[in-house]
Amino acid sequence: MSAATAERRMLLLNDIDEPGLATREVYERRGGYESLRKALSMEPEALLTELKDSGLRGRGGAGFAMGTKVSFLPKGAAQKYLVCNADESEPGTFKDRELMQKCPHMLIEGIAIATWAAGISRAFIYIRGEYVLQADILDAALAEAREAGYVGQNILGSEHSLSLVVHRGAGAYICGEETGLLDSLEGKRGNPRLKPPFPAINGLYQGPTLINNVETLSTVPSIVKMGGEAYASLGTETSKGTKLVSISGHVQRPGNYEIELGIPSREIIYDLAGGPADGRQVKCWFPGGSSSPVLTGDDLDIPYDFDSLAKAGTMLGSGAIIVVDDSTPILDVALKTAKFYRHESCGKCTPCREGTNWTVKMLERIAAGEATPMDLDIMASVCTNIIGNCLCVLGDAMAMPIGSMIAKFRGEFEQSIEQARLAAEGALV
Amino acid sequence: MPRPNPRMITFTIDGRETQAPESSMLVDAAKHGDVEIPVFCYEPKLGGPVGACRMCLVEVEGIPKLQPGCATPVKDGMVVNTQSERVKEAQRGVVEFLLVNHPLDCPVCDKGGECPLQDISFGWGGGISRFVEPKRHFVKPVELSSKIAIDRERCILCYRCVRFSQDVSEDHQLVLLERGAHSYVATFDGHPYEAPFSGNIVELCPVGALTALPYRFKARPWDIEDAGTVCTLCPSQCNVTLTVRDEKVLRALARENPEVDDGWLCNRGRFVRDAIHGPQRVTEPMIRDGGVLRPTTWERALAEAAGALARAGEHSAALAGGGATNEEGFLLARILRERLGSPHIDSRPAGKLPLELHRALAEPSLQARVSDLEHAHAVLVLDCDPVRDMPIIDLRIRKGVRHKGVALAIASQEPGALDRRAAEVVRFAPGMGGVFAQALASALGDGAEVDRLAQQAGSDAQAVRSLATLLAGTGAQDAAGQEPREVAIVWGEALASGEHGAAGVQALLTIAQRLGLAETSGAGLLEVPAEANGRGLREAGVLPNAGPGLRPSPEPGMDARSIARALAGGDLTALQLLQCDPLVDGYDRELWAPALERATTVIAHASTLTEGIAEHANVVFPAESHAEKEGTVVHPDGRIQRLRPVIGREGQTRAGWLVLADLAAQLGLDLGVNTGPEVTEQLAEAVPFYAGLTLQEIGPKGVRWQDRDAARRLHAERVAG
Repeated sequence: MSAATAERRMLLLNDIDEPGLATREVYERRGGYESLRKALSMEPEALLTELKDSGLRGRGGAGFAMGTKVSFLPKGAAQKYLVCNADESEPGTFKDRELMQKCPHMLIEGIAIATWAAGISRAFIYIRGEYVLQADILDAALAEAREAGYVGQNILGSEHSLSLVVHRGAGAYICGEETGLLDSLEGKRGNPRLKPPFPAINGLYQGPTLINNVETLSTVPSIVKMGGEAYASLGTETSKGTKLVSISGHVQRPGNYEIELGIPSREIIYDLAGGPADGRQVKCWFPGGSSSPVLTGDDLDIPYDFDSLAKAGTMLGSGAIIVVDDSTPILDVALKTAKFYRHESCGKCTPCREGTNWTVKMLERIAAGEATPMDLDIMASVCTNIIGNCLCVLGDAMAMPIGSMIAKFRGEFEQSIEQARLAAEGALV
Repeated sequence: MPRPNPRMITFTIDGRETQAPESSMLVDAAKHGDVEIPVFCYEPKLGGPVGACRMCLVEVEGIPKLQPGCATPVKDGMVVNTQSERVKEAQRGVVEFLLVNHPLDCPVCDKGGECPLQDISFGWGGGISRFVEPKRHFVKPVELSSKIAIDRERCILCYRCVRFSQDVSEDHQLVLLERGAHSYVATFDGHPYEAPFSGNIVELCPVGALTALPYRFKARPWDIEDAGTVCTLCPSQCNVTLTVRDEKVLRALARENPEVDDGWLCNRGRFVRDAIHGPQRVTEPMIRDGGVLRPTTWERALAEAAGALARAGEHSAALAGGGATNEEGFLLARILRERLGSPHIDSRPAGKLPLELHRALAEPSLQARVSDLEHAHAVLVLDCDPVRDMPIIDLRIRKGVRHKGVALAIASQEPGALDRRAAEVVRFAPGMGGVFAQALASALGDGAEVDRLAQQAGSDAQAVRSLATLLAGTGAQDAAGQEPREVAIVWGEALASGEHGAAGVQALLTIAQRLGLAETSGAGLLEVPAEANGRGLREAGVLPNAGPGLRPSPEPGMDARSIARALAGGDLTALQLLQCDPLVDGYDRELWAPALERATTVIAHASTLTEGIAEHANVVFPAESHAEKEGTVVHPDGRIQRLRPVIGREGQTRAGWLVLADLAAQLGLDLGVNTGPEVTEQLAEAVPFYAGLTLQEIGPKGVRWQDRDAARRLHAERVAG
């Protein structure tokens, strides 16, 4: 085990397995809601400065600086909203689930603080419908928080009032896209909206809306506790702080790990998660959820942070590493990925709706032995025609990994085409 | 509310500097530089852009990703490229994607030849498809409603129809079901999409997915000719393009005129084929013979009518209505007044209004335009239900409320379709609109009479007061030195009817004065007349107390109600009905049934045999439909519009003006007209405030007479008078 793993700084998962942490009593005993007290004693502007100083970047996937996002909200008396995006639907991502299930009060505290900083009095947690247990736990925690006066009118005797509602989604990946989420929350079909206007200007019920991921908001109490600058000293120059990483796939110890941004990816996959089973090699890995372009076994020394991964042509995304070892054909990985996005495409914009559908059909044709290597060129071109041309990033989320697989594993695809073709011919005989 | 008046900015498109209104979307701005950016989902009539089809992707310098031209506002100095290889590649890609699941059945598709998908595939597509997999399939076509068929395989999911249903007509029936490539347009529970404006979705559809059942397989675009005219089935007077094949009107399309219809049609105006070519059309002259109407020759019918009228002389009377043109009304009045010596002519179903009130209501500064309904601070709908009485302004009012924040108030005697969009709804007892108006006028003044009048009208006094507050505003605006409050009042002719009619109109004028409507541009009154060309007929002199131009007639005649009593009592003996049947057209039936029964002669100019005509007419002249007619009509806001014949007349039908001229000739009166335009010329000479008007000036989109210099003549006469 390397030094980095031995001395990992943990902010979010510190006490995560403490029995009863989901209750207010245990959470408070562990110092919970102290940050809220501290925050409420500060002016919102000062609090906002701390958030900006922390350099915290959104943990939902886009990695946008949270403090900057807050400062986009127009000043003034208009009704503003905070929406916590708990529609954690990206395949391979399960960090928010653990946070909400084991430490819901941390999220509630984070929301109470962030709304004070941003001058917001109404907030929603939009949680995916499949998270029944987590939603129940959140509801219970929220009831406790209300009872203790952490949520409601004049929180802890301050001027800050907050109404917070847990809203359960109905099971659509697209509702994790922030504007699709807003439409869904408003009771409409969950389709992404055209941007601009951005939600910070015109969001929920046409009011300025701050949308943040569960992990982002759960980090806020730690930032308030330790101070923005201290938080910023963790991680790298542009990727500050700690990050939860969900590791799944062909590793021996899958699960959530909190890391300081910037450590080598190899440490996460091998030292923390134990790497693939003995005798197996990493064939490819998704560094940031199933929508990130894949990397290969040769890329394991890339530092795990926003910018290093971007430089490598992929992204940190939601921080979900999916490891695929050499026992799995790349065609299976591609087909599984493409099918997911075809199923979840909302159908509003053309390239995503038709492109995901077409890509799946082509991949199925390869599997059925009815394709030629030329189809790989068509598939790559279809992916190119999707990327950057869609209304939201769902289309890109399929086209980027599939495109990267074709580019990096073309030889294997061609082998699969040939093998499947021979098998199909054999079947005919 | 101030209307947007954007400044012009300069931007560069495809290497050329171009001027365009600031913040217009690139697809619109590009047109100023003669550049076309292809679109499917973009349709400004439906509200803001949605950016769904991605057809309009263009390159904007300084922005790394391609931008949707439909949703990118143009800025000064912007550099746009629509011709780069990157743009072309993306556009080819989108066309290819759109055709992935499209059946490409153009040879058997009604849209083929006039299909944006065809045009854009041809202009911007790659010409080939690399898609070899099986396409998506649906049961097709299925009836979406009694008038519309849907072919879901052809649908490219642009959302236009759904947006129309949700955001324009607000009937909220159409939705998109399922997800991704399986999405399809439907009503939520599969019930038929029946709504007053549903036909518009056929015209909105950029592919052949939505077709009108009456037009399906009737013609290909190269078989047809389109011709523009005006629909005169109701006071909306929407501008239409009629599609003609072999002298038959096959369909009606909107001919967009933002000052009239905003590019929409109601289903009644759209599905007109039966009204024009249906079996019930009267296509030959008829006379009653042995108690039955039998076809006859024009000579015999004219002689019969002329003989009867000559015998009746000053005991004749006439009513005009429906889509009768200004010219027809004008000639009819001339025959009565000049030859028969009878002043008994009317075009209003319910009672005489003092001429002074007619003239006061016509005051140019008091007139609201249709577009004012969209931009005003507040709109009051008074004693009418737009969707019933003048359907197309229902959509305009909804647009104002939805997009411009217009405060809508309704005062009516029964619940209406717009109620749920209104900030204030007040009811009054049936027939008490006039009293209600007095209560409102009082509330806008010293308020002394509000309680008494509201009670008399059957209204809640408090509601009347809060309505007054809504209309007048809080006064804070004036104090802040902001623009004056614009209020548009849409009022129904019912208000000016019955025993409280005159007092009601007087109160309406008081309301207008107290709200300063005459002094405020963008504010005013808009009457919804009972007849489609009610305003034009009045201005042409079809009133008992006024000649052409609302000038006092030398000898006042009886109004419609008095005419009915006089006919029933035997004081009048002959009645001419110009496109009007008092038993079905909103006249007092109880009064008119005995009148028609007793009348010695009833001469009808009619296109269908409605009840009163079938049972009581002695002579029936076939009348033209609006597809055959030539002449002018006046929109309720004063816009003089031109009807143009788009097909030959059905059967033996003759031009309405010619029938009246021939009838006059038989009676020994030379009206001095040999062509339709000559009648228009006579009319323009007779009506002072139409002076100098020519058909050319009216043009395809009409001209409001209040906007012409001659309009001052009405005002001058009033002041002088």
